[in-house]
Amino acid sequence: MSRNIDRRTIIKGAGIAGIAGLAGCTGGPSDGNGGNGDDGNGNGGNGNGDDGNGNGDDGNGNGDDGNGNGDDIDANIGMVYAEAGLGDNSFNDAAQRGLLAADEDFNIEYNEVEPNDTGEFSQFQRQFAEDGSYDLITCIGFAQQDALTETSADYPDQQFMIVDAVVEDADNVANYLFRENEGSFLVGYLAAQLTQTDLSVGSDDDERSTNTDESLVGFVGGVDAPLIRTFQAGFEAGVEYADGDVESTSTYTGSFNDPSAGREAALSMYDDGADIVYHASGGTGVGVFQAADDEGRFAIGVDSDQSITEPDFADVILASMVKLVETPVYESIQNTIEGSFQGGSAVTLGLEEEGVGVVYGDELGDEISQDVKDAVATARQEIIDGEIEVPTEP
Amino acid sequence: MEVMSMSEDEGALESDTGDSSLRSRLTSPSYIKRVLGVLAGILALLGVLGLLFPTSVAGDLSRIVFRWSVLVQALRISTPIALAAIGGIFAEKSGVINIGLEGLLIISAFAAVYLTAVLGPDTTIAFIPAIWIGFAGGVLASVVLAWVFAVVCIEFKADQIIAGLAVWLIALGLAPFASTLYFGSRDSGSLGVTIGNWPIVIMIASVAIAWVVLYRTSFGRYIRAAGENPRALDTAGVSVSRVRYAGVLLSGVFAGMGGASLSLTIGLFGGTGETMVEGRGFIAIVAYLFGNYNPLGAFGASLLFGGLEAIQIRLQQLGYAIPDTLVQTIPYIVVILVLAFVGRTRIPKAAGEHYETEE
Repeated sequence: MSRNIDRRTIIKGAGIAGIAGLAGCTGGPSDGNGGNGDDGNGNGGNGNGDDGNGNGDDGNGNGDDGNGNGDDIDANIGMVYAEAGLGDNSFNDAAQRGLLAADEDFNIEYNEVEPNDTGEFSQFQRQFAEDGSYDLITCIGFAQQDALTETSADYPDQQFMIVDAVVEDADNVANYLFRENEGSFLVGYLAAQLTQTDLSVGSDDDERSTNTDESLVGFVGGVDAPLIRTFQAGFEAGVEYADGDVESTSTYTGSFNDPSAGREAALSMYDDGADIVYHASGGTGVGVFQAADDEGRFAIGVDSDQSITEPDFADVILASMVKLVETPVYESIQNTIEGSFQGGSAVTLGLEEEGVGVVYGDELGDEISQDVKDAVATARQEIIDGEIEVPTEP
Repeated sequence: MEVMSMSEDEGALESDTGDSSLRSRLTSPSYIKRVLGVLAGILALLGVLGLLFPTSVAGDLSRIVFRWSVLVQALRISTPIALAAIGGIFAEKSGVINIGLEGLLIISAFAAVYLTAVLGPDTTIAFIPAIWIGFAGGVLASVVLAWVFAVVCIEFKADQIIAGLAVWLIALGLAPFASTLYFGSRDSGSLGVTIGNWPIVIMIASVAIAWVVLYRTSFGRYIRAAGENPRALDTAGVSVSRVRYAGVLLSGVFAGMGGASLSLTIGLFGGTGETMVEGRGFIAIVAYLFGNYNPLGAFGASLLFGGLEAIQIRLQQLGYAIPDTLVQTIPYIVVILVLAFVGRTRIPKAAGEHYETEE
């Protein structure tokens, strides 16, 4: 009998531990500020982000206790991040920068959630919408499109915005798209020029150089989705534009969270003679940088200036194709506050709108010759002027 | 052939109660030989076709397959899978089905990176680089979690499948959470150091050691007996639950080495989504089932999977007009096909059952 009780106790204990574990894993809106939400101090999700930290204090303080007392605030924002979550040194951190910048300029309150898988998007969107106290719910990433299509229809009076996708026929959703292909074109153009020059940095045991014997550059994608294909398409077009003799190769790892797979994919490219690999694969991309580091080659970052956000790899990151996700986040919050919410519209941000662009590596940028940089700048202008058409399909 | 090996299997069953390990030895190699034969045939065919038609698909494939760097890559990809699979063998051979391997991989992948970061990636303590202490820490974390699993399953007779799932879910929640506390994000960020290709050596050594232990030592006989016929083992005066504890703890050791290898090979822990382990623990379960609970077989199955994965990566780069998503599924499809046509698995008779000793 005592045995039975023991057994029951232990199973109960295991159950509680399991649920606690699950809770740590999934979280809820109130967990959005990370593990240190309670002390209202610091910025849980973004410990190694850059400019996100400075104003985390008051932001989280607001977010924690402040729903619903909408008297003296301009807007209450519900932020649903993309799957990779905060601290990705990339996409989500950029979105958060937009939120924090808005927090600095306006009197807003906000609540952030980091869904762990695509199934949770709908749940979090609905939780915010159901709450009713949010003036705007910001949804980051194309993976939220399906969930938002349903949620926005069920809550027609709630204002939403989505980045990287368009929710058709919804007046309460402001859509923001980027022309990633344009920015990717420029880094492809850059890579194709550099692969043919003899670029060598570092010393002795830590030397990194281009491979002048082969004219090959690579692209590593995360999930093979139309959005990621536009990165590939732009990159390949840029390579082609530079020189017909330079070849590009591409691989999709099937995941945004598998750095090991990213490393293997990039290693096989370097093994084939590639010397510069561009990635559009979220967290998988760290593996690409590690591979470049292992092989003494180079890589190109994506979304944020990754030579800053991944300082350990600043010595391999030649440049980054930045995608200023902060812009639409900030803009949509501003629009909401000013009463000019652009529901039903789709805004596209390309090179011209400075929604995308090339940022040279913090450490390696100076190694790239001015001629090459000038050529990239010229190509940029030509794209803006419409002289170069950048495809969206590889 | 089929009938013969069936009867050999029956022999293997009896042998665990007695001492004729000779027959069980015969059983497993014949199965492995068959699988190896098929694979060697495919490779030979590919090689010949590749030589005859160098510009065809076969030519492309053979250029990929017969390449040293691809083999190293295949071994690297298969390392965490093979190590976890060996762990699974020890647990299940002793009668405890451990489907929590994924959780053990996750917890050890995190703990290894955590400990290395705490010590300082570049320090050495008593001539041992921090990264190897981190490796040991990862193994220890996995063993601790395996011990909890063992207590729940053996002492308190919880359902092994449910407890195994709990192990996975606990690790899936705990590791990213702990990472957020220490590193400030679910991903640890790069440590700046890696252990290179050493895990491959560790894995191959583990395969050999596991095989010797299972089939050449009396402890191995106890393990197998605890899973096949625990009553006989009990009658012989050996404590079934102690043997099962040992089996589960060993599964923690091997899976721990697998998880630590995975994260330290790349020098970081990724805790987003399914974490960086991304289902490798479940593939390991398939690998040891496919390998019919033999460490060599599990190694072969893991290598098959790793090899196909390495080939798949390079196939995509050739830019055939096949969708990449389809190419990515090649390893899984082939493993299922091989399982269906060549694979034959006999589960230890008492696996999943509690054993109540009759004192």
